[in-house]
Amino acid sequence: MPRPEIHTITFSIDGLEVKAPENAMLVDAAKYGDVEIPVFCYEPKLGQPVGACRMCLVEIEGIPKLQTACSTPVKDGMVVHTQTERVHDAQRSVVEFLLINHPLDCPVCDKGGECPLQDITYGWGPGTSRFIEPKRHFKKPLELSPLIAIDRERCILCYRCVRFSQEIAEDYQLVLLERGAHSFVGTFDGHPYVAPFSGNIIELCPVGALTSRAYRFRARPWDIEGAGTVCTLCPSQCNVELTVRDERVMRVLARDHEEVDDGWLCDKGRFAYQSVHTDERLVQPMVREGTSLQPASWEKALAAAAGALKKAGAKAAALAGGETTNEEAFLLAKLLRDGLGSGHLSARAEGELPLDVARALADPALQATVPDLEFAHAVLLLDADPIDDAPVWDLRIRKGVRRNGVRLGVASARPTALDSQAELALRHAPGTGEALLVALDAALAGDRGNLGGAASTAGSSAGAIEGLADFLKGAGDDVVIVYGERLLSGPGGAQAARALLNVAARLGLSGRDGAGLLEAPSSTNARGLREAGFAPGHGAGYATVAEPGKATAEIAAALAEGELSTVWLHHADPLRSFPDRAAWEAALGTAQTVIAVDSVISDTIREHADVVFPAEAYAEKEGTVTHPDGRLQRLRPAIGRPKGPDQQSGSGVRPLWQVIADVAERAGLELGVRTGPMASKALFEAVPFYAGLTLDAIGGRGVRWPASEAAAAFQGAAWEPVKLDVPDAVPASSEGALRLGTFRSLWSSKEVDVSPSLRFLRPRQIVELSPADAERLGIREGDQVEVGSNGTRVKGAVKLRAAVPGGSVFIAAGTHEQPANVLTEPMVEVRRVGAPTPAGAEEAAT
Amino acid sequence: MAIDPSKVRRFAHGSRVPGWDEAADLTKDPAVVPDPATAFVPEEMRREIEGEMAKYPDLRSAAIPALKVVQREHGWCSPTAIEQAACVMGLTPAYLSAIATFYDMFDTVPVGQHQVYVCTNISCSLLGADELYDAMLSAAGDDPRFNVRPFECLGACDIGPMASVDGEYVGPLTPEDCRTIVDDAIEGRPVLEGKQLKRRKKAVDHWKEA
Amino acid sequence: MEVLYKDLDEPGLNTLKVYEQRGGYEMLRKALKMEPQKVLEEMLASNVRGRGGAGFAMGKKMSFIPKGAMDKYLVCNADESEPGTFKDRELMQKNPHQLIEGIIIGAYAIGANKSFIFIRGEYAHQADVLDAAVAEARGKGYIGERILGSDHTLDLVVHRGAGAYICGEETALLDALEGKRGNPRLKPPFPAIQGLYKGPTLINNVETLMNVPIVLEMGGAKYAEIGTQTSTGTKVVSVSGNVKRPGNYEIELGISSRELIFGLAGGPPDGRTVKAWFPGGSSAPVLTGSDEHLDLAYDFDTLAKAGSMLGSGAIIVVDDSNSIVDVALKTAKFYRHESCGKCTPCREGTNWTVKMLERVQSGEATPMDLDITASVCEQIIGNCLCVLGDAMAMPIGSMIKHFREEFEAHIEAARERNGLGAAIPQVNRGRNAGPGPMLEPAGTDPSAVPV
Repeated sequence: MPRPEIHTITFSIDGLEVKAPENAMLVDAAKYGDVEIPVFCYEPKLGQPVGACRMCLVEIEGIPKLQTACSTPVKDGMVVHTQTERVHDAQRSVVEFLLINHPLDCPVCDKGGECPLQDITYGWGPGTSRFIEPKRHFKKPLELSPLIAIDRERCILCYRCVRFSQEIAEDYQLVLLERGAHSFVGTFDGHPYVAPFSGNIIELCPVGALTSRAYRFRARPWDIEGAGTVCTLCPSQCNVELTVRDERVMRVLARDHEEVDDGWLCDKGRFAYQSVHTDERLVQPMVREGTSLQPASWEKALAAAAGALKKAGAKAAALAGGETTNEEAFLLAKLLRDGLGSGHLSARAEGELPLDVARALADPALQATVPDLEFAHAVLLLDADPIDDAPVWDLRIRKGVRRNGVRLGVASARPTALDSQAELALRHAPGTGEALLVALDAALAGDRGNLGGAASTAGSSAGAIEGLADFLKGAGDDVVIVYGERLLSGPGGAQAARALLNVAARLGLSGRDGAGLLEAPSSTNARGLREAGFAPGHGAGYATVAEPGKATAEIAAALAEGELSTVWLHHADPLRSFPDRAAWEAALGTAQTVIAVDSVISDTIREHADVVFPAEAYAEKEGTVTHPDGRLQRLRPAIGRPKGPDQQSGSGVRPLWQVIADVAERAGLELGVRTGPMASKALFEAVPFYAGLTLDAIGGRGVRWPASEAAAAFQGAAWEPVKLDVPDAVPASSEGALRLGTFRSLWSSKEVDVSPSLRFLRPRQIVELSPADAERLGIREGDQVEVGSNGTRVKGAVKLRAAVPGGSVFIAAGTHEQPANVLTEPMVEVRRVGAPTPAGAEEAAT
Repeated sequence: MAIDPSKVRRFAHGSRVPGWDEAADLTKDPAVVPDPATAFVPEEMRREIEGEMAKYPDLRSAAIPALKVVQREHGWCSPTAIEQAACVMGLTPAYLSAIATFYDMFDTVPVGQHQVYVCTNISCSLLGADELYDAMLSAAGDDPRFNVRPFECLGACDIGPMASVDGEYVGPLTPEDCRTIVDDAIEGRPVLEGKQLKRRKKAVDHWKEA
Repeated sequence: MEVLYKDLDEPGLNTLKVYEQRGGYEMLRKALKMEPQKVLEEMLASNVRGRGGAGFAMGKKMSFIPKGAMDKYLVCNADESEPGTFKDRELMQKNPHQLIEGIIIGAYAIGANKSFIFIRGEYAHQADVLDAAVAEARGKGYIGERILGSDHTLDLVVHRGAGAYICGEETALLDALEGKRGNPRLKPPFPAIQGLYKGPTLINNVETLMNVPIVLEMGGAKYAEIGTQTSTGTKVVSVSGNVKRPGNYEIELGISSRELIFGLAGGPPDGRTVKAWFPGGSSAPVLTGSDEHLDLAYDFDTLAKAGSMLGSGAIIVVDDSNSIVDVALKTAKFYRHESCGKCTPCREGTNWTVKMLERVQSGEATPMDLDITASVCEQIIGNCLCVLGDAMAMPIGSMIKHFREEFEAHIEAARERNGLGAAIPQVNRGRNAGPGPMLEPAGTDPSAVPV
C-alpha cells in the first residue's frame, strides 16, 4: 500500500486563513490556526471517528446543521466558525448533558487535575446545571481486572476503551452492554479484561472511569514530573514517559512515536516499572565468601573482578543480555579484546552466524521499518509471534490488515496470535526452521528437487510451501518479512539465514523502500550489541577480527572443561534464558570466577556468582539502544540510582559504563571514559556507519542509521542467492513421542516476577497439545502432565488447542518454575502425572 | 472512621440495570474466543449456526440469528449459550453479549418459555393497555412458565390493546382475555383464535363486516 | 383509491400461484427487457417518495448509487417500529410477492446482486410468510443466478431483527445487519456510497418498494398524476388510538386529514372530541383538534409547513379523555428506552426529559420545569448523531407548546394533592440562567428514582 500523499489546502476558521493538510479532520486542521475544538470521543489513534460525544460541533458555511469537527475532512476554501452563539450553545448543551449523571467527585478522583472532562467543562461548559434530580449512584470503584479499576458513575460513554479493545487490540473482550442510558462498559459474564494491551484504556479514558490500580491514589498531578525514555523490557523499545514522584517511578505512559510504537504500550511495559522499586533489587556489590554472597565495598568488588579477569586473561569470556546498552557492550568488548586478549563474547544464546551472513542481514538496503508493517503489500511472519516477541508490532500489523488491506502470511511452528488475521497460515514442525526456509527458497526458485525434500523435513508439503511462495510473489512489490531470531538458531542457523537471504533476494526486497526484513530478536538490544561488536565473530561495526572467539554454547562447554576460567555475565541469566540448563549448571559450577551484573537477584547469581555488581534499572540508565529496525534510541535517567543500605552516596548502584571502566583500569586497561556521553562518543567513533551521530541528534525520537548518510560506510555487498542443501530429515517419530517446541511468553521475565501488579500473569508451565494427540494419550484439558526425554521431566497443565498441529507439543520457556531449558532433545514423551509408564502399561496388559 | 461509606445511603441502593454494580470476577480467566478443542457445541446447533453464517458475505451478520438459535435451545442467552455461539462463529463471547443486551428480544436472565409481550405504547395505552398489562401480570406474572413483559409498539395498533403471545398477535384484548391466553398457551392450543391478527381482513372490509 | 390494497385479502395471494394469476412478476419480465437506466428513469419520473419516514424521492436515492461493477446491495427496511405504524406488516403478510418483485426490479435498476429484507423480530409470522415466498420465488427462478435467463443475478435473504426501534434508522439497520449493535453511523458517507459491508447500498421501505412494480406498470409519468404534485401516488395510512375504526387506509395523498380521521377511521368515540393527533407516527410533532389542523391536506409538504410531518404515515388520535401529560411521558419513555446510547444529547437528553416529565406528572414540578424541559428539547434538536433524539424532542416540544395550559393546570392540581402548595411563579430558566433552586424532590427514596 503506498502511503497517502498529502496536499496542503487553505481554509478559513474563525476568520483566519489557515493552511492545513487536505482531508485532515477539522479538529486537527484547526490546530494549524491555533484554534482548539474540544473533543471526548475523538482519538485519531483509534481509527475512524465515531462522532458520538457531539462535543466538537462547529458551524460550516453552506451546511445548515452543525457538524462534528472530528469527522469532517477539511477541504480547500471551507469556512468554519467555532465561536458563534450556535456553536457555544451546542457545546454548553453537551457539557450539561454529560454532567447530569457524572458524580463530580473530582476531589477524590485520581484523574483530577489531568482530566479532559474537567478541562472542557472549565473551558466550554455552562458553569451551572439545571438538573435537580438525584444523580444515579453505584458501587465504585469496581475491579475490571487485576490491573484496572472501573468507576461507572464517572463514565461518559465516549467509546474509546471499547474501540481500543475491538479495533486496535482486537481482543474484543471489552464491550458496551445494554442500551441507551443504561449502557455500560463491561465484559462477558463478569470475566476480567485481561489482555496484553489492556492498560492502554486507562490512558485513553478522558475521565476518571478507568484507573490504574497500581497508580490509584499514589500521586496527584502537581506532585509529579514526566521523564521521557525508552522501555527496554522487550525489543520493540517503545518510547515511554515515566511519571516520577520523589525519585520513584509511579506510572508509565506512552510517549507516542509513530515510527516505533504508534502510541501504544503493552501491559508489561506499562506496569513492570514496579520492578525498579522492589525488595529484590540489588543495590550494592557482593563478593562470595566461602559459600555465601556477602555485601562488599565497591573497591573490594572491583578489585576482585579485576583480579579474576587479569588472571584469566584470554581464558575470560563475557555474555551480555538484552538490557545491555550499546555503550556497555562496546566497553565490555573492548575490555575483553584489548585488555585481556579474549574474543569470547556472545550475546546470542542460540549460536553465532558467519560474518558474511550477519553482514548481509544487517545490510541497510534490506532493512524494513516498523511503519512498513502498516503499509506493505504483504507481511510474512516467519516463526515469529509479535505478541510475545515484540508486542506492539502485533497492533501495527493488525492496523495494516484492518485499515490498509495489508495481506498477512504466517509460517510458524506454534499457532500465532495473528493467525486469525492472516490470509495464509502455514505450520511447520518445531525446530525445522532451516528446512522451511530452504523449501521456501526452492519454491521461489522453482527448484522442485529441493522443495519436496525440504518441505517434508519441515513437516509440511510441497504444495503448501508453493502456496506460500505464490502468496509472496503475487502480493505486490512491498513485502516485509518479520523473522524470529530463533529461526536462525542452532546448527542449521547459518544455512537458514542463507536461505532467508536467498528468499529476500528472489523477492527483490533489497533497496526497496517499504520492503525488507525485520528481525524479531530474542532480546531487547540484540541488534545494538551486534553493531557494537559484542560478538565472537566480529568487532564494532561488523569489523573483521583476527581470531573469532567462542559462541555461547562453546563458552559453556569450555567453562565446564576448564578451558575458560572466568565469565562476566552482563544482564545475562543463563540458567533461565539460555538453552540447556544442565550445561550451564556445569559451566558456572566449574568456572573459577563468575562475575554477574544485574538489577535483581536470580538463581544464576544466588548459586554461582562470585562477584556481583548491582545494575541500573532501565529508568536509571544513560546510553543508547538500537531498535531492530536500526533506530538508535536514547535512554535517559528518569530517577537517581538507588543508594546502598548505608544511604551514603557512592555506595549504591553505579552506572555500568563506569563499572566496566573501573574494572578495566584495575585490570590495566585505560578505556578513557569519564562520563556516559564520552562512552557514547567512543562508540559512535568506532562504528563506521554511526559516523557523525551525537546524543543530541538522537534526541527524543532516535535516528535510524540505515536511512542516514553514514549508512554508505556499511561494508557489505548485495546478496546473490547461493545453492543450499536439503537438511537432514527429522528423527522418525517413535511410538507416542511428540516434537517439542518452546515459546517464550511476553510475561516470562524477571520484571514481571517482581512487579506485584503483574505477578498474576507470571506464566506457569502449560503444555499445549492438539486434541487428536491428547485423545490418543488419554489426556484431558487441565490434566497435569510430564513432558520429558532421557529421564528429564517438565511438569505442566494441559491446554488443548485446536490450532496446534498433531505431533507437536509446546511448552513455555523462561518460566520461573518448571523451566523448559532442561529438555534438550527434539522428541519428547507426554504422560499424565500418575498414569502408569508405558512399561507398566504393558505389564498391566499382559 | 467517622463516616462508614458502606452505611452512606447512596451506596445502599443500586441500579436496576443489570451489571452496573458488578465487578469482574478476578478468579475467572479472560473470555477469549472459545477454542473448539475444549468448548462443547451440539452438532445440530453447530450446523444451524453455520447455515446462518453461510447466508452472509460477513459471518458476523449471523450474530442475531445465531443468538436466536442458542436462545431457543437454552431458553435464554445464558453464558453457556453465548459461549457456544461464539465458538462456532469464532468470536469472543463479549461480542455476542454486547449484541444480546442491546436487543429487546434476547433474554439475558432465565425466563419462562412462553413469551407474552404486552404492547404499552401510545396507541394501545390510549385504549387501556396499562390495565391490560396489570391483568396479564395477575394472570401469569407469578407463573414461572411465563415471561410477561411490557413492550414498545409491536406494530399492531389496529387491534390495540394487544399482545404478542409466543409470536402470535392477538387483540383487541380485554382484561378478561388474559386468563384464556394463559390457558391456551399452557394447553398448547392456538392462542385466542378469534382475536388473532393474521385472520383479520383489511380495515375497510373488517369494519364493513362488523 | 386502492392500488396496493386492491383485493389484498384475495385468498392465497401470499402464494406464487395466485400472485402470478394476478399478473405477478410480469413487471419483472418487463424490467429485465429494459436497460437498468430506463427502469431508474421511470422511478425518477414517478417522483415516488420514501414511505418510511423521511420522504426522500426514491428515484433520486437510486440515482446516487454509483454505476459499474462492484458489490452493491439493496436492503428493504421492514423494521416497522414507529409507534402507530402497522402498514408494512399487513402488506408483507398479505402480498409478499409484490415486495419481492419490487426488490428484484430495484436491485436490477441499481445493479445490486445481494439483497436483504430486514424485518423486525416481533413480526415472526410475517417473516415466515416472506421466507416461504422467497423460497417459492427462488424455485421459480425469480431469485438466483441469471434471473429468467437475463444477466442479472440476485440473492435475497430475510434477516430478522431482535427488537430495537433504532434499527429502523437506515445506518443503524446496516450495523445491525452486519452483526453489530444497532448504532447509527456518521453521515457522510451516505449508504448510497458506502453502506452495507462498505458497498453502495439502496435502502427503502416496504411500501416504497411495493410501489415499484406499480410504477412500472402504470409508467412513471402516469403514476405521478396520482396525488399532489410533490406527493405523488397513494399512501397507506395507519390510523389508531381513539378512533372507532382503526386500521390501514390507502388514500391518494392530498385528501384532508379530517376525511382520514373522521371519514375513514370513524373519528373518536361518541361524545369525545379530538384533543391532539400525531400525523406521522410518534416522532411527528402533534397537531391539535382545531379545525385549522384537521383541515390540513394530508401530504408531505402541507404537514411540513404546518410544523409537523407525514413521517411514516401513521395517525394516532388522542381524544379529550386523556391527559396530555400522560401522552408526553409515554412518548418520552419510549424514546429513552429506544435510544441506542451512542451520542450524548439523545442518551442523556431523553433520560433527563423523562425524569422531568415524571415530576410534572407526580406533582413535584413547577411550571418552570416546563421551560427547562422545552429548553432541553431544544438542546437535543439538531445536535444528535441521528434523528432519534429529535424524534422525541419535537413531539414533546410541540405538546408543551400547544398544551402548556393543561400542563400547568396539571402541575398545580397535582401539587395541591401533594400538599406542596402553589408553584412558585413562572421563571424563565434559560440555559444561561444561574443555579437551580434548592428544591428537594419529593419521594426522596433514591431507590424510587429510575436511572
